[in-house]
Amino acid sequence: MPDIKGGYNMNITRAFLSAAVAVALGSGAHAEVKVGFIGSLSSDTGLSTLRGAEMAIEELNAAGGVLGGQKITLVTADTGEDVTEGIKAYEYLAETEEVDFVISGSIDDVSLGWLPRMQEYRIPTLDTWTSYIGIIDMVVEDPEGMAPYFMNIASDEALATLYINFGADVLKAKMGFESVVILAEDTAFGGAITGLVTDALAPVAGIAVNDIITYDINTVDFAPIFAKAKASGADFIYLVSSVNSQVVSSQYVKLQVPMVMTGINVAALGIEYWEDTGGAGGGISTLSPVPSVGFPLDPVSADFVERYQGKYSTRPKVPHFNGFNAYHGLKQAMAAAEEAGGFDDASAWSRAMLGQDMILEKDGKLWLRYGFWQHGEVEPVTGRTYPQNARFDLEPPFDTAQPSMVVIQWQEDGSVGVVYPPEYANMEFTVPSWVR
Amino acid sequence: MAVRGRHLALWGLFMAGGLLLPLLVDTGIIGRGTLRTIIMANFLAIFAMSWDVLSGRTGYISFGHPFLIGIGAYTTAILTRRFDVAVEYSIPIAVLVTMIGGAVLFIPALRIRGSYFALVTLAFMELVYQLVQVIRPDLTGGTRGMSGIVTLTKGAVQGYYLSFTLMALLGFFLWLLMKTRLGTALSAIGMNEDSVAGSGLNTTRLKLVAFMLGAFAAGLGGAFYVHYLGSIAPRALFDINFVFTIIVAALIGGAATITGPIFGAFFLTFLLEYLRPVLPGAERYLIYGGIALLVYMYQPGGLHKILEVGLERLRKRANP
Repeated sequence: MPDIKGGYNMNITRAFLSAAVAVALGSGAHAEVKVGFIGSLSSDTGLSTLRGAEMAIEELNAAGGVLGGQKITLVTADTGEDVTEGIKAYEYLAETEEVDFVISGSIDDVSLGWLPRMQEYRIPTLDTWTSYIGIIDMVVEDPEGMAPYFMNIASDEALATLYINFGADVLKAKMGFESVVILAEDTAFGGAITGLVTDALAPVAGIAVNDIITYDINTVDFAPIFAKAKASGADFIYLVSSVNSQVVSSQYVKLQVPMVMTGINVAALGIEYWEDTGGAGGGISTLSPVPSVGFPLDPVSADFVERYQGKYSTRPKVPHFNGFNAYHGLKQAMAAAEEAGGFDDASAWSRAMLGQDMILEKDGKLWLRYGFWQHGEVEPVTGRTYPQNARFDLEPPFDTAQPSMVVIQWQEDGSVGVVYPPEYANMEFTVPSWVR
Repeated sequence: MAVRGRHLALWGLFMAGGLLLPLLVDTGIIGRGTLRTIIMANFLAIFAMSWDVLSGRTGYISFGHPFLIGIGAYTTAILTRRFDVAVEYSIPIAVLVTMIGGAVLFIPALRIRGSYFALVTLAFMELVYQLVQVIRPDLTGGTRGMSGIVTLTKGAVQGYYLSFTLMALLGFFLWLLMKTRLGTALSAIGMNEDSVAGSGLNTTRLKLVAFMLGAFAAGLGGAFYVHYLGSIAPRALFDINFVFTIIVAALIGGAATITGPIFGAFFLTFLLEYLRPVLPGAERYLIYGGIALLVYMYQPGGLHKILEVGLERLRKRANP
């Protein structure tokens, strides 16, 4: 009897242990890596990041998952491009959803709003749209506190620096422009770019800044602003617009403002720009992070766009640059997590993320590079460091990375292409017909 | 209206329960995310109560309440961020400046009432929104606002304790005050101002007290709110949607009750947050609007009245 009883107890114990192991294994199989998207769910830029992340996650899950077969799930938090909503959204992702990793398609001001929360929670975070140099300055000043933060778009200082070359090579040397009026939106992005252009355009490109006009992003009537720009006596307008850019663009064309307008026009970075301006968008040129509309794509990126178009039927029909950043960046973040043993140790993940490097070639030439500047590594043209910022190249022949930006131009027939730098150009810079 | 022991006991229970709530986080019954949601509800409750004192009682409907909240928030933000003034000084100064703002808002109330007053207050909000951009944007941060403002708390639990204590104490103070003859007189103004004046009471002075009290609460809430968020953006603050959220919280909870706006603020905040996983985009605001409309149509006295009627029925059923 004791044997029977002992055997019975043994069986119970075995069964219990087996069940426990099964549950443990089962829970292991069902464990997941949770990714949180933060950004606007109603803007093309926000959706670009979201969809890029979705496609990367689908691929990784189809390939068996990450971190020992864990599936990746995605949760979203809408910011509505509002700073307060952005803070709430980050809190929601961190504390309600308890995400392991955050991918952001936020605009600069919104990222600035939630950054203190990122530092508090120390959740590895990748920003794919924000380019505010002030955030990279924060990484320089507080490397430990900002360790979980990465920005895989060239910061605005790098964008503006290369744009100065466009000013010298094309606007000054080819067009003969001597002076500029800056038309900038009142945002962190607008302020940063204005400062950079003001400090560099005159001394480097030899173009004098006649006036700086700051406008509210909700402006609907630009006629008085264009009149003021014209009255400045400048040869051309430098526009800095990241929000509602289609409004200023279409009014520029409809009012036939007799000055060339170039600069940064975020609406013009999307394929829907022509439709949004009702066809009144020709002649506009804009600095663009790469890859953008009109930018020749390498085979990997072209394949991504083809699959994107097969999957999504609503706008944006072609992802903005941040969609590519999200697609590649999320895979790099997961690879870094594999190396660091997960996302829990943000410092270890950060070190692994810094080592991520992916080169995409086109016709045997380096075309795009997804890597990061290291701490203490000095960029030779600007003479400063860009830790945890996307690696870029500011000098031809752009053989260490892609240029920090290209200049694209919409023609009056609705076509679009790259006009600068020559190594990436596929069309010539032209002046609008009503200005000639 | 007399203060009953039962009411005081309920307030005591509410405060004790609120202070003990974070302990449930450690046991895993509620998450830190819930605490974050309550923090936002606490701040909305403060704003809704301040609106309730000013508008819910007197009937002088203000559509420009963020004007007052913004003065409090901006004053302390500028003082701490631009002039390195310590928070213990900047917040009281911000409250005082907001009360001056309340006096400014009161001036039109001397001559106009009803929808005209509401429109004038809306103009106040729009005016300050424009002024923030034009006058010294180097101080205010222009339309982009300011970030990097010193925060008073770190983590959900600390933020919860601060916001809950502030909300509960302010609510109790305002509730007690409204139980005095002052509260009765203010409610009477809301019903028929001419009759109150005819009874020999100085309605101008009474209204001024209401505006000062409302401004005090709005300034206090605004100042602590900005030191919780760590940033301020005029587009989010001086926004018509923000005004409506405050007013809807007060109305749906039950105007002129003080406790009603607290119910309303919690109801709205939790509704929006619980809808977030299902409707992550702007669609959830449609649902929120629809539910608010239904509740208000069913019972214009709001959740406070629904609760009151419900409790009365239960009491009658227990003691027929």
